[in-house]
Amino acid sequence: MNDKPSGESKGKPVGADLIIPVTSIAFCAYYFSTITEVPWTAQVSAVLVGSVLILLSTFFVIKTLRDVLRGRATLGFSRLIEPVSYVRKRSALLALTLGYIFAIHLLGFTLTTFVFLAAAMMLLSNGRRKGFIVILSAILAVGGYLLFVIAFETRFPEGALEHFLKEMF
Amino acid sequence: MEIQWGLFATEFARTFSFWWVILPAILLGLIVGAIPGFSAANTIIILLPLTLSMDPELGLTFMVALYASSRMGAGIPAILVNIPGTAGAAATPLDGYPMTRQGRAQQALAISFVSSVAGGLITTLLALLLMPWLSQVAYYLHSVEMIVIMIFGISLIASIAARDTLKGLIAGFFGLMIGYIGADVVYETPRGTFGFLELYDKVPLIPALVGLFAISEAFSVIEGESILSERGRLAMQKAGWAQTWEGVCEAASCWWHIVWTSFIGLVIGVVPGAGAAIAAFVAYQQSRTFSKTPELYGTGHIKGLVAPESANNGVTSGTLIPLLVIGVPGGATAAIMAVVLQYHGVSMGPELFTNQPHLAYGPFTAMAVTYAIMILTIMPLARYMSRITVVSTVYMAPIIISFTLVGSFVPRAYVFDMYLALVFGVIGYVARKTGYHVAAILIGVILGPLLENYFLRALRISQGDVMVIFSSTVGNILWVLLVLSLVAPWFLDWRKRQRADREG
Repeated sequence: MNDKPSGESKGKPVGADLIIPVTSIAFCAYYFSTITEVPWTAQVSAVLVGSVLILLSTFFVIKTLRDVLRGRATLGFSRLIEPVSYVRKRSALLALTLGYIFAIHLLGFTLTTFVFLAAAMMLLSNGRRKGFIVILSAILAVGGYLLFVIAFETRFPEGALEHFLKEMF
Repeated sequence: MEIQWGLFATEFARTFSFWWVILPAILLGLIVGAIPGFSAANTIIILLPLTLSMDPELGLTFMVALYASSRMGAGIPAILVNIPGTAGAAATPLDGYPMTRQGRAQQALAISFVSSVAGGLITTLLALLLMPWLSQVAYYLHSVEMIVIMIFGISLIASIAARDTLKGLIAGFFGLMIGYIGADVVYETPRGTFGFLELYDKVPLIPALVGLFAISEAFSVIEGESILSERGRLAMQKAGWAQTWEGVCEAASCWWHIVWTSFIGLVIGVVPGAGAAIAAFVAYQQSRTFSKTPELYGTGHIKGLVAPESANNGVTSGTLIPLLVIGVPGGATAAIMAVVLQYHGVSMGPELFTNQPHLAYGPFTAMAVTYAIMILTIMPLARYMSRITVVSTVYMAPIIISFTLVGSFVPRAYVFDMYLALVFGVIGYVARKTGYHVAAILIGVILGPLLENYFLRALRISQGDVMVIFSSTVGNILWVLLVLSLVAPWFLDWRKRQRADREG
């Protein structure tokens, strides 16, 4: 399987290296826009730190673009997605994680964790050992409930199952 | 305050008789320390009804044992799966995790346990002896000096991310700006919150820790079947008790390193608010600066693991000194202990040492006894704990994601914090893939609010004069030390190259 994206054979791909500096500059600009009305003493520390961050980030962006113009690097993003064969799995895992967070305050910790663990493990194992994965997910979800919710009385997200068990015992 | 040897001996004997309280506290501390989101402070708060009902000395022993063991527990997942249990262990994976990948998880755990216990024991005994003098440190550190100490912390980022200092600085300052999100402490004006009410109280640390370390790691490790390298996998198959002993011997060979890096932790622990994370990074940086083989740091170097583990355990006794001697808690856990003591009508300060010496010295003897018991109970477990590294990433990644995400929910019970952890996970993933250090971003997030608080305080005192940061003698000495610490690695490197050129 080819793990390298095509079209990035010339120079080191450094496009992804610019994500954090560019995000930093954008965030500083946004942050500064929210402090225009506040007293000077509440601005000064953030302005000093933000200015240094903008300076450093700008310097890095210029340095990188110079390398690109000289042909020593390209603006490719392959470093971020390599190995390419895992992009689909990683995207699906991200979607599952988002779904997990969305569902957990509706369905509670135990049920949502069981479904998430089973789905994510099956995804990563390419659907192998389904029976084992279902049993393992159930043990982990119930074990987590017993340890954290019952033994440690931790504030975990609760749903219908947790409420039902609370009423029962 | 005079050193009272007879009293110390009696106290040690008494504390050993509390083993039945210390043992469960150790077990609990190791568990809560190892799980992101379950700090010692939170657990002590949850268990307040229990500790308040105990005799104050017994309650204090329980809290101290839990506190010390949680510090050690935080290093275990940092070494095994690159996820520190608390921010204090954020420097531990720098060399601990590479050792794991090489199949040396058992040795790394043994090194961590010996360094933590030895560091904790040494500093506890030093704290007992040097308490009258160490307590004075807090008197000399005001807002201006604290600003320099915070910037000192930030400057470490550059040296930690040595492969590209510029990327390290960007990551650190980006973290600082994230730390500035929220309402300012003086005027309560929301800044940079993107309209989220949940961010008015600043960016919570646990979701940042979970996202930057755990989530980003989980999304990275799925690229392989195992977190171990091929050589590491072979080494783990052959691992037995000898590997634990090897780790103990390796740590013992660094005994002097343990002594001085734990002392760094003790001194930083005395400074209210500085904390274990700063101590661990300062110790790591100093260790590398004065090393003959600085290039080995970050590759699974023993001293790179010894330094942060000794230092963050040194902090534990340091934070208790200002609490007991001048009544100012050195950290969150110490503050909760103060609440318990005040509930029992115990007033902290110099009179505590004359009126109730068993309560004044008790926490330190409890800590020493905890460390002594802990090494005996945890060391045999190193072999079994290290087996977690052979678990396939197919199972490990989803477990890490689900349990740490829920861990980020625990402190405030906001689902928002789980989304926040995921956002930090994405930032962490990008940072890992592109060579920005996630630890640098995290230390920025920790220091941001502290730096701003001290800066605002200094400005208010000086009526808005920014030059106040150069107004104190102690502060100016610290500025010079800061510059020296930045220049020293360059100078030592330059001298080494000069010498090599001459010899070559």
